Amino acid sequence: MEKTFTEKIQINKRNKIAGLYPATKLQIVILFSISTLIINSIKLTDAKLALLLIPWFALVPFMFAITGEFKKSMKSMKPIFVVAIFIIAVQTFIVSGGQTLWHWHFLSIREKGLQTAISLGFLVLNIAGMFTWMLQSTSTKEISRCFEESGMNFKVAYIFTSSLEMIKVFSKRSQTILDAQRSRGVETEGNLKVRAKAFFPTIVPLILGGIIGSEDRVLTLEARGFSIKGEHTHLFDLKKSGYERRMLVVSIIITLLIIAGRISLWRMK
Amino acid sequence: MTKNERKQFSIKEDFSMLALLIIPVGVAVNFVGGQLASLLRLPLYLDTIGTIFVAMLCGPWVGAITGLLTNILTGIANPVNFAFIPVAIIAGLVTGAFARHDYFSVWWKWLIAMVVMGAASILSAAPIVVLMFGGVTGSGASLITATFMAAGANIWGAFIGTEGLFNVLDRIISVLICLAVIKVIPNRNLIKFSCGMFYVKDREEIAEVTE
Repeated sequence: MEKTFTEKIQINKRNKIAGLYPATKLQIVILFSISTLIINSIKLTDAKLALLLIPWFALVPFMFAITGEFKKSMKSMKPIFVVAIFIIAVQTFIVSGGQTLWHWHFLSIREKGLQTAISLGFLVLNIAGMFTWMLQSTSTKEISRCFEESGMNFKVAYIFTSSLEMIKVFSKRSQTILDAQRSRGVETEGNLKVRAKAFFPTIVPLILGGIIGSEDRVLTLEARGFSIKGEHTHLFDLKKSGYERRMLVVSIIITLLIIAGRISLWRMK
Repeated sequence: MTKNERKQFSIKEDFSMLALLIIPVGVAVNFVGGQLASLLRLPLYLDTIGTIFVAMLCGPWVGAITGLLTNILTGIANPVNFAFIPVAIIAGLVTGAFARHDYFSVWWKWLIAMVVMGAASILSAAPIVVLMFGGVTGSGASLITATFMAAGANIWGAFIGTEGLFNVLDRIISVLICLAVIKVIPNRNLIKFSCGMFYVKDREEIAEVTE
């Protein structure tokens, strides 16, 4: 039997973790971030390194795997890896202070540099990684619907989805304008001056088109009763997967265990 | 509007239907501006043109929302951007505040505005970059910062020194682009925005006629 339009736009995820309610995912990410910060305060070895952050990072790929989107999520982790590697490299070799741990020609690793390298680098990796998990497993449609259900104004949800659409439209349009300008002789290759000159004739028509077009969109929206007072109807329904409670309880228990561990370490000293 | 009476601004009026629809345009312009700058291999980010444009037309609050939303949406692809949300908000607020006081209609006034905008952005970005990322974020300018740091410069000084120059330049170009666009928007569109009347062409003549 053919599906109706409303049935077609619904999102049905087979994976229970991927189908978690977006607000629950956010709560898990916040708990994870708190735990990460606590773990960062535990320093091991004589050089006082926050080494525990490294095994803790294993949780991020683990979450990717149980969500069933390991490859896709790892791919979007790429820019984060770049930033983290950059931070670690710069901090390790450049920041001075403390004992020299390792020396080779002009390169040397100092105690203080290694400390900040590991804790900053892995803080970024851990927290940004968990955000990646949340955002890769949730579609923007779900996020904007969740905004509305959590009591935010429907206009906020609209602006959110509309911005995403607009980015796609504008990216396409900028390509068109760039091609059009090229065909009438604007050069986009060459030295810096030439390339900088090409920027203006592309961005100006783009902004202008957006401004003039927005008036039409006001009329279109108003014609569909956008700012009407009263209850709004929805075609897309947000479902809960049924694992919300379990996942949240597990995360809370892990966080509490980490807090307990931290406190007992203080006592031991 | 005559010269003597000043327009009263209110947040509720700021977020008119048109302002709400201009926010997505601003976000998209930010995004495409940054993309285009890297496509043309320009040494600047140019990813706040949309925020500045919206703030110039609709005031600080709408501008701040544009900045916030841009970083939330780019953060979906790269969560590092979440850390820079305050920078984006401040860019919108500062530009909007200048727009409210009619700083973009006389050349020496917008020159002042640009320098302050550049300073505001670098001062708001510095604590985030230094304390959260240890001075480097993986961009092109970071390499210069890292070189200065290796030469023994203070981490704050190295960051503000290198990024400061790029930031002021970035703001100057962004404002010039926005002014160029505003110049060609017809009056009938301009007056619908809360700060639009400052950019209306032939202001004096129109004021005389309406009087």
